[in-house]
Amino acid sequence: MSTAIASPVAHGTAHLPPARKPRPVAEFLSTYVFSKDHKVIGLQFLFSTLVWFLIGGLLALAVRWQIAWPWSDVPVLGKLFAQEGGQMAPEFYTMLFTMHATVMIFLVIIPILAGAFGNFLIPLMIGADDMAFPTLNMLSYWFMWPAFIAFGASFFVEGGAASSGWTSYPTLSTNIASSPGAGWGQTLWLIGLTMVGVSSMLGSVNYMTTIILMRAPGMTMFRLPMTIWAMFITAVLQAFALPVLTAAGFMQLADRTLGTGFFSPEGNIVNNWMQGTGGGQPLLWQHLFWFYSHPAVYIMILPAMGMVSDILTTFARKPLFGYRPMVYSIAGIAGLGFIVWGHHMFISGMNPALGITFMVSTMMIALPSAVKTFNWLGTIWGGKIQFTTSMLFALAFVSMFIIGGLSGIFMAATPVDIFIHDTYFIVAHFHYVLFAGTAMGVWAGIYYWFPKMFGRTMNEFWGKVHFFLTFIFMNGTFFTMHILGAVGFPRRLADAYHYETFHHLQPMNAFMTWCAIGMVATQIIFAINFFWSMFFGPVAGRNPWNANTLEWTAPSPPGHGNFDFQPVVYRGPYEYSVPGVEKDHLMQTDPPHAAAAAAAAAAH
Amino acid sequence: MGSRFSGIFWSLLFLAVPVLGVATFAIAPAIDVWLPKDISEHGKAIDGLFYFILGLTGIVFIATEVVLFWFLWKYDAARDNGPAKYIHGSHTLEVVWTIIPAATLLFLAIYQMNTWADVKMRRPAMAPTVEVVARQFEWRLRYPGRDGTLGTADDLFLVNDMHVPVDEDILVQLKSMDVLHSFFIPNLRIKQDAVPGMKIPVWFKATENGQFDIVCAELCGWGHYKMKGRVTVESREDFDRWLESQYAKQEATQPEPDPADAVAQN
Amino acid sequence: MTMAYSLRPLWITCSLGCLVVAVGCGTTPAASFRPNMVEATKQRLTPAQEKQVATVLLAMFGTPDDPVALPETGLDEAKLRLAAGPVRSDIVGRKNGLYREHCAHCHGITGDGLGPTAAFLNPYPRDYRPGVFKFKSTERADKPTHADLVRILHNGIAGTSMPSFALLPEAQVEALAEYVKYLSIRGETELSLMRAFFELDDDAQGKLPETREFLVDETLSPIAEKWQAAADARIPVPEMPADIDLVASIAKGKELFYGDKANCVKCHGVTGLGDGQANDYDDWNKAIVEIDKEVKSTAAKAKETSTVSMSADEAAEHRSQLAWLEKFDAVLAGDALTPRTIPPRNLRHGIYRGGRRPLDLYYRIHAGINGAPMPAAKGTISPEDIWHIVNYVRSLPYELDGELGADRPMVARDRF
Repeated sequence: MSTAIASPVAHGTAHLPPARKPRPVAEFLSTYVFSKDHKVIGLQFLFSTLVWFLIGGLLALAVRWQIAWPWSDVPVLGKLFAQEGGQMAPEFYTMLFTMHATVMIFLVIIPILAGAFGNFLIPLMIGADDMAFPTLNMLSYWFMWPAFIAFGASFFVEGGAASSGWTSYPTLSTNIASSPGAGWGQTLWLIGLTMVGVSSMLGSVNYMTTIILMRAPGMTMFRLPMTIWAMFITAVLQAFALPVLTAAGFMQLADRTLGTGFFSPEGNIVNNWMQGTGGGQPLLWQHLFWFYSHPAVYIMILPAMGMVSDILTTFARKPLFGYRPMVYSIAGIAGLGFIVWGHHMFISGMNPALGITFMVSTMMIALPSAVKTFNWLGTIWGGKIQFTTSMLFALAFVSMFIIGGLSGIFMAATPVDIFIHDTYFIVAHFHYVLFAGTAMGVWAGIYYWFPKMFGRTMNEFWGKVHFFLTFIFMNGTFFTMHILGAVGFPRRLADAYHYETFHHLQPMNAFMTWCAIGMVATQIIFAINFFWSMFFGPVAGRNPWNANTLEWTAPSPPGHGNFDFQPVVYRGPYEYSVPGVEKDHLMQTDPPHAAAAAAAAAAH
Repeated sequence: MGSRFSGIFWSLLFLAVPVLGVATFAIAPAIDVWLPKDISEHGKAIDGLFYFILGLTGIVFIATEVVLFWFLWKYDAARDNGPAKYIHGSHTLEVVWTIIPAATLLFLAIYQMNTWADVKMRRPAMAPTVEVVARQFEWRLRYPGRDGTLGTADDLFLVNDMHVPVDEDILVQLKSMDVLHSFFIPNLRIKQDAVPGMKIPVWFKATENGQFDIVCAELCGWGHYKMKGRVTVESREDFDRWLESQYAKQEATQPEPDPADAVAQN
Repeated sequence: MTMAYSLRPLWITCSLGCLVVAVGCGTTPAASFRPNMVEATKQRLTPAQEKQVATVLLAMFGTPDDPVALPETGLDEAKLRLAAGPVRSDIVGRKNGLYREHCAHCHGITGDGLGPTAAFLNPYPRDYRPGVFKFKSTERADKPTHADLVRILHNGIAGTSMPSFALLPEAQVEALAEYVKYLSIRGETELSLMRAFFELDDDAQGKLPETREFLVDETLSPIAEKWQAAADARIPVPEMPADIDLVASIAKGKELFYGDKANCVKCHGVTGLGDGQANDYDDWNKAIVEIDKEVKSTAAKAKETSTVSMSADEAAEHRSQLAWLEKFDAVLAGDALTPRTIPPRNLRHGIYRGGRRPLDLYYRIHAGINGAPMPAAKGTISPEDIWHIVNYVRSLPYELDGELGADRPMVARDRF
């Protein structure tokens, strides 16, 4: 552990407020509820998103139940359909998969990466005492609550929650007669989406400013850990892409409530109901939506990629292979991410010539991801690998991302996409990158930074049990989806066995559903480990993993103001196993003479 | 540090990924859970591309996953006492593994352009064989009558039951009455979204007789799963005969003989 | 890092897991028929009387999982068994539970048009219980033939949410048609039983006689016989002359369309767009509208009446009247769909719900549409004239001059 000479505390203690009358409730609220401390806000995001993760997972189980055993008595939810003997109504199914995706994307993955990890880690890893705009930061969390309420309430309104898919294509989503969930459910969905967008925008502005302006002395941009690079570029993506979605959301809201016709063609009658003026085009929504939602999928993976880079280096005890190429790759993914949105629309009826241009750009975006994968392999090559829970999840990210990334090439190929578009091949692809990829990265991050957040380590044994079972069940659930897709099994069907072509696929789907049930049940182990360790786990020191980055120099957990000394950075974040240095890691704040002293001591 | 067995165990777990992955893709075609039978002219090109990409990605998949396993096995801290390699990267390797994938991907993209153009851009110059109007939750078909023009009084209206002659160019005019649908015939390797307000041409040539599913492939509401249609590919003579008989039924001015009558009389 | 682990989390996991399993794995009770609460409330049945009706129906017709078909119904119980019950495959791989797979979510498990999806459809799905069916080949007041039901299943109903089941195997379509008849006969029997309480004399003590004579001979058989007699009630359709001059026929038809005898334009509008009038209801919605109006006005009046000057008995009766009105209001809110008007058909679309054959249009004009405001032309218009109107109507979607020019959007050329 570094015994660097610490300069006396310069900032924290001088800011003590003058003594005043104690106001317990107000203080509780300002410390734990409306806190402006980035760590508290990060934890608020973390707890909220983990609760929604559970809800999203249960929605997925209901979906999987119907796919495996259509029209059978559904556990728990069957009580809603008691008249029919527990058999779910088909519109209920469309609502289930719509809300599963909506919850997972907007209330789990995006907030947990940017809101939880971004918030908690950015100031700590760059050596700042908090974010550039603490009040804005607090608001970015509290803007999530109207979204929680809107999405949550939408389940209970007449017609139920939104049921037009998370992609919300008109005219199914704009004409209120087109489906039960296209009434209040869809309106609340749009409101919730807008609130999430506001929260993300506030966060992104904060992160960009903080990273650019508040780095500790000596922390040049190319000494930043990959987590921070990833968070930074993700924030840029958010800032440029979100306004388009927000605008599109307002246009759809206007079509539904004000009678405008942005997305409805003239004379459009759905379910014998004509609404509004028409004169619009359904494809316009698709362009606007995917212009945001494609960068969104990179928003949903880049932070995880950054965190995985940091975790791999720590537990391989090796520098990152190709630091600058890794940074450029992230920037490349983000940049190219803005010119590939049309690959979601190859079959949509847009000008087929765009099928050529978007195919080229989509093929090319596989390149930076491939470069990153090779660099990760290069990082563990020749390392001294410690198989901690966190490392296992990070390795799983790499292994699973390879699958998810390679499957993307099939759909980038426009002629092949003619066949696999809207089939389970697509479902397999995005679940591999988002769940087998990002969620594994999230778990890696939780196990890794838990000691910093709560001052105690999670239980390693149960962590590994959690990893093992999740890994097995997850692959059991999603890998055979590639096969289903090859058969042509479409998405979003309440009962596919209607069709002779898909009749023999029921046993495979049943197997996948059992794996999914196992996977969700396994998370109970994680939940218990998480909460138990928070109160009863072994106390962690400042740097339980012997890692290099700045957060590991602060106390666990850090107090208000983060550091009890002024961090000064002397090197990059990946100086592990430096020859001639006795300990196998040289922290970013270790002064240069400490390295020489350590080398000298080794010589004796 | 973990025990010596821990590293072996985890490495083998990661080896299971390429092993089981390849096994799944090998077993599936063998048990006939694979691409449906292709009966279209352009389907060969599409399937060929699918297999080409499968082969390419398969090689990369096996290589990278096995390398991952190998590194985990070899560089396990519990069994390997040497220090880690202190190396920040290799410029040569970066160039190599940037150029080669880039060239491969670019080649792949260009190689496919012709097939895409054939299926989606080079429309045959002919009048539509049939107009398909997607609706919640059925496929409404309209054949031009004897006058060969759609939109006249001799059109033939049908639901869900499409017939086409074999070995002939077919042009479908695809529309939607209400929301987005998608006209997907797995065995013909065609799929096209039906967009309200747009008239989109879809063309193909079927090479074999038989009956095949039409599936809706774009969420269109609660009945999305119900939109089952059927396309029957048959000889030109059978097709013409079928058109005539359907038309006669449509123009019926007398009821069909009721099977119940025949039973009652016996 | 130490590898220590504690067993306590394991116990907690297991007990939580067992709890979850216990909560989640209770199966839902078997599906059951929903009683006709609107009629029961209208007839002011006591709970005991409602129970008696339910018990009698259970004995006569069984449950959604286990149907019973008395021989008097003329129904094939084997077909019913194929259609009834939860969705499953039997031992030879044959699909069972067809009604629940294909029909129940709109038409309801009881055939009352109150399935979970029903409220969101326009028009509402059919309620079979009154035994009224719109599109058939028989005279207005008669039941549809078996072939009529099969035809609806084959073709669906164009312009509504009723899909075509032409791609189902024939045996399955037959089973479904039979089950629809079963639900309809059951529904009509229920109505008949509920209405019979009113006819009872005092010594019956509010209970229906549970004799075979009353239940089967007097209640069930008349209903079932109407179904069995449907084939005899088919409309005789004279041949349209083979050498008919179509242009002249269309001109004659147009004259009749606009004329006083047929008076089609009154509802279908001088444009043929169905904009003649817009305030009528079909029978199913009309029943609810009328009851609703009556209940609301009676309730309003009753609430204003003060009980001060009433005797104890009168006051008690007044209170029970108020309670009944409130109950009825709740039943109408929960057991009936919000009434909707039925617009006259837009004849320029070329979309005909009952079928587009000239024969179908002949049936519609001759017998009108049972349950809807479309009147029967039988007796008023001669069969030859009906053919002329049919020819005119069929030409409407393609009419390019006259009342509507080619610039109006609602013509079949562009609209379909």
